[in-house]
Amino acid sequence: MAVLELSGVSKSYRTHLSLRKYWILRDLSLSVREGEIFGFIGTNGAGKTTTIKLALGLIFPDGGSIRLFGEEATSVQARRRLGFLPENPYLYDYLTGIEFLDFHARLFGLGAAERRRRVRELLERVGLGNRGERQLRHYSKGMLQRIGLAQALINDPELVILDEPMSGLDPIGRREVRDIILDLKARGRTIFFSTHILSDTEMICDRVGLLVRGNLKAVGRIDDLVSREVRFWEVGLKGVREQGLPCGRVVSRRDDQILVRVESQDELRRVLALVNGHGPSLLSVTPARQSLEDLFIREARGEAPSAPEGARAG
Amino acid sequence: MPARVFAIALNTFREAIRNRVLYLLLVFAVAMISFAQILSLLTVGSEDKIIKDFGLASIDLFGVLTSVFIGIGLVSKEIERRTVYTLLAKPIHRYEFVLGKYAGLVLTLLVNTAVMTLWFLIILAVKGMFDPRLLLAVLLLFFQFLLITALAVLFSCLSSPILASVFTLCLYAIGHLLWSLDLLQAKLKGGAARALCDVLYYLLPNLANFDIKGQVVHGLPVAAGTLGLAAAYLVLYGAAVLSVACAVFQRKELQ
Amino acid sequence: MRPEAKHQARRMPALLALVALGAAILVQGLIEARAHDRSAVHPLLYLPSGKYLKVAALGFDDILADLIYLWSIQYYGDYAIQERYDYLEKIYTEVIAELDPRYIDPYLIGSLIMSAEARKPEMALRLLDKGFEKNPDQWILPFEAGFVCYDNLKDYVRAAAYFEKALKVPGVHPLVRRLYAGMYERAGDKRTSLREWAEIYETAGDDYVRQVSASHVHDLKVEVDLMDLKDAAARFRRQAGRPPGRLGELAARGLLREIPLDPEGRDYLYDRDRGEVSYRGSLVLAR
Repeated sequence: MAVLELSGVSKSYRTHLSLRKYWILRDLSLSVREGEIFGFIGTNGAGKTTTIKLALGLIFPDGGSIRLFGEEATSVQARRRLGFLPENPYLYDYLTGIEFLDFHARLFGLGAAERRRRVRELLERVGLGNRGERQLRHYSKGMLQRIGLAQALINDPELVILDEPMSGLDPIGRREVRDIILDLKARGRTIFFSTHILSDTEMICDRVGLLVRGNLKAVGRIDDLVSREVRFWEVGLKGVREQGLPCGRVVSRRDDQILVRVESQDELRRVLALVNGHGPSLLSVTPARQSLEDLFIREARGEAPSAPEGARAG
Repeated sequence: MPARVFAIALNTFREAIRNRVLYLLLVFAVAMISFAQILSLLTVGSEDKIIKDFGLASIDLFGVLTSVFIGIGLVSKEIERRTVYTLLAKPIHRYEFVLGKYAGLVLTLLVNTAVMTLWFLIILAVKGMFDPRLLLAVLLLFFQFLLITALAVLFSCLSSPILASVFTLCLYAIGHLLWSLDLLQAKLKGGAARALCDVLYYLLPNLANFDIKGQVVHGLPVAAGTLGLAAAYLVLYGAAVLSVACAVFQRKELQ
Repeated sequence: MRPEAKHQARRMPALLALVALGAAILVQGLIEARAHDRSAVHPLLYLPSGKYLKVAALGFDDILADLIYLWSIQYYGDYAIQERYDYLEKIYTEVIAELDPRYIDPYLIGSLIMSAEARKPEMALRLLDKGFEKNPDQWILPFEAGFVCYDNLKDYVRAAAYFEKALKVPGVHPLVRRLYAGMYERAGDKRTSLREWAEIYETAGDDYVRQVSASHVHDLKVEVDLMDLKDAAARFRRQAGRPPGRLGELAARGLLREIPLDPEGRDYLYDRDRGEVSYRGSLVLAR
């Protein structure tokens, strides 16, 4: 069952003073399946946040439909099973962490005891167990991101939508967020998050969708989108003279260490053979595959910039 | 539904209470009321009138300022600063947000007015010039604040904080000058122009309904039913304003 | 939610707004209907004195003065309100004059209402006095006051005093001088009047004024001359015990420096038997 489904969605806007329409999204169709982690990637300004806002009923599409759990995105009922964390969340800085979570919990009609329990549990889960009493205005950016995440999970949602959840976090923070996402998946939840940091998606996503200038250029499993064949190897060697290389190209050297690039298995074998005797030592063998980044850059650059709607229409 | 509205109202109230601007206004209000005492020393004759006049005028002025600026700060700012996103992603109706905000503001104004009135009463009691009808005047002023806040909420849903403040203050001024429309109508000849005056007169918020300061201070009779009719007007006009606000907010794109 | 129900739900707020507004208008109508004696409790009647209002007006004194003045004109024009003059002095003298002392119209209109309608000329004079105090460059204010004295109080001496004040202001309208002259005439002081009229004649800028003043001078000269002659004759009689035989005797006695001739250069007629002096011509202005 599609948890989130966009069909033929278009969204444009006009700046106040001009009459020209700018299309942010054009005929976008996308569906997120139950239980998967879907990574929504794209360049800055591609329309990722717009898509998410449409899914949440914060803005309305010019055309097409958006359904959450089979209901209209603007329906209040659908949002019962939803959790959302916006990018750079602005939060009520005059509230303490506990008051903040309690407030959001009330909106689900939870009883006082239940609220207390969940607030405590979530604070622990996001690593803010002992900071609940402080006002949000005193939280660091990392802490704000975590309390924001806690707020998104307060109702134990089936679908969690996160807009750039790792932004502004240090590596520890990012690891923690990744862990939470994986944990959610393990519990059968669905996660949809947008990001422009590709390594995050490669690590945890089941499927990705690549948005470039309002068009979905690619969607599917990473393995399907990106060829997994090895394109070349880089071999690190020590104590080998360049002139002694049977094949391959030296891409870097330092002291008596060199890095050799070879394009085929055959060449690889021949270079590795150098190490069999005494003398040269092998430092590393690194296969390079096409990465998501390559796909991203190719798609992002590939399309010529389209003229704005009004200019064409004349 | 009521639980969610209440949650938002409570939150709004909390925000207002922790807002420094509120305290600043209160301090000034108290200062102004106290100033009446000093002014009264300058007058020849009864100081009654000066203290009562000034006290009521201070409550009026600062109540209005609070209604406008706190009202807009709490709604317009929220929409602008996008704290509203996480809120609206929850299972709440947009109108619940509007009503919840308004309820929180009502609570805030109640506390605010109560504090100012209490100080006023203390000064009056000390001078031995307490008059229960003054409380009636304050109550009607409170109704006025409620109506102005409803307008502030409406304009907050429509435009930026600065514009919303300007519009609300303009309507406040206009609301007190509707008698000039009456006079204008008497001078006009054409049927269409006169009809327009009538339409404007009844459409615009008539804030004079909440002003019995002069009557109370001068010991003149206040017609029975004034309170009832003023309350009815507040409830109905306020409901109209809030309904429009809800309708506007329903369709608003939250960029 | 089913589509139709959803549509209805979306229309709800708008519908509610209309209904509520309609009801609010009805209530307002009720309020209006009840307050038909609203003039009696019109808040503007109970304004604090202008000095305090200035504080409240926060610099918008002028506008406030305008508004109150505008309102007052309508208010005082509404003859249905019986007690409308109760606060007349308050509104004009204490409020408008304090808020915007240099706004001249209210002084004039206010004094008009006070003198002509409310029949309180002294109140009008107080207002105009205050106005002139704050606006010593406005000759029209003492002029108006003079007029009130002349018309309402029939106090020509006071009127003359006001006109004199007005005359001191540079740029005063020449008419005022003529009125001033006229006041002395009315007050019975024909000599001063004659002097004034003569001055006017000398400085007349146009034919009309010259003609008018000439007429006054002519008549007044006759009247003053006759008065002097009668006066001298009476003194002669007391001194000599008999009326003079000829007018020339008055000069001979030193009672008159010289015997005046009438404006046409002729002698005045003297009837010894009846003891009357008269003018052989006729006065220009009908008295």
